[in-house]
Amino acid sequence: MQTVKMVISGAVNAGKTEFIKTISEIEVVSTERRATDDTRLIKKETTVAMDFGRIAIGDDLVLHLFGTPGQKRFDFMWEILSEGMLGLVILVDSTRPETFRETNRIIDFFMSYRETPYVVAANKQDRPNAWSPEELRLALRLPAHIKVLPCMATDRESVKNVLLELLDVIMQRSED
Amino acid sequence: MPLVGNIRDFGLSDFLYLVDRGYKTGCLHLSRTDEMASLYFEKGKLLTATRKDDNVPLTDLLVRKGKLTPVQAEQAAQAHQNQNGASMSQLVIDLNLIGRDELQRVLQQHIEESVYALFGWHEGEFRFEQGQRPEPTAPIMPMPLPVEHLIMEGVRRIDEWGRIKDRIPSTDMVVKFIEQPIERAKGINLAADEWRVFARINGKDTLAEIARKTGMSEFDVCRIVYGFLTAGLVDVIRKPAPVPMLATGRPLAEAPRIKKSLVTRIINRIRGM
Repeated sequence: MQTVKMVISGAVNAGKTEFIKTISEIEVVSTERRATDDTRLIKKETTVAMDFGRIAIGDDLVLHLFGTPGQKRFDFMWEILSEGMLGLVILVDSTRPETFRETNRIIDFFMSYRETPYVVAANKQDRPNAWSPEELRLALRLPAHIKVLPCMATDRESVKNVLLELLDVIMQRSED
Repeated sequence: MPLVGNIRDFGLSDFLYLVDRGYKTGCLHLSRTDEMASLYFEKGKLLTATRKDDNVPLTDLLVRKGKLTPVQAEQAAQAHQNQNGASMSQLVIDLNLIGRDELQRVLQQHIEESVYALFGWHEGEFRFEQGQRPEPTAPIMPMPLPVEHLIMEGVRRIDEWGRIKDRIPSTDMVVKFIEQPIERAKGINLAADEWRVFARINGKDTLAEIARKTGMSEFDVCRIVYGFLTAGLVDVIRKPAPVPMLATGRPLAEAPRIKKSLVTRIINRIRGM
């Protein structure tokens, strides 16, 4: 059985757990604990270890989805999770500009580690005051070739679209 | 929908970059305690800026600065009532009360100073209302002002590492030009020290190396590069680290190679979900 891995990352409360829950075929394995630092101002429970979801591609191939913890003190997990990943989705809460710097720090981290195919998903586009994908591109100073996609992590079609766009980027780098 | 936030998290210079690159038209409202300011933009360029404690019509401002007499101001105000939404700025030029260049010079100086003072705000709510335009009687510049110059001047007033380190976490980072930096630099007046740093940018040297070669302090080099970065002239990247090797001899940093057929299978599966 071959397994391939995609990583879903982003700042606290960007919607990583929801994103994986929406698409995973299995009950998502989350290790949620009561937040112990300033994240408690945002949500009572947050992911302090990781989320794990799974999609069977065939009898011999499985796609694993890993959600990284958002809190800074779990940075060390990012490196472990990113080992051997096929691609990366960076989720951004489009309604909270106070998380944009942290999002840049996460992108910097993953890109300094390896040249991984990635897309940015502008989550919570259904909310009032959501910054549009193009505004997010400018706010995060992302180059033109990086895809910034509208996303609603609770909507299956929206999550599928983000994964398909990431797979398109991966395809361009794959070999015959 | 308006864009809202706090300049503590998304600074004024960051917002000006967004307005410039996004060719935004609208008004950026800033507020803190009992202070308020409004900056109006058209297609990414600044039209005018007003502050709550200095929100006067153009004619009053020109009288205060000795460019119009009260009688001329009254003449302009009466003529403006017969106009259909035309700006007072255009009217005073058409009435030959002041030359276009002189009006631009007076308003630019006034508006620039209003904006520079805002760079001193470390926090405050912002709200950008798309499409909102200034009152026709407002002191609108005849030639809207490119914001790169404002960003550079605003950044010159930053004297704290904290804000700079958000964008430049280490002096081991390499500075490189974006495409066509000269084109973008046309709207910017660089000071002598800024030119010294500008000339040393080659996509290879780190900030620490530029500081050593120019004889400037690392703080000064970082502050100047922060300005270039904010104005969209350069990019700052990590110096590529030596690639660690696995026991198999394959570099650790290399993304796993994957076959197109496998990617196609995953695509088909997800499409079918």
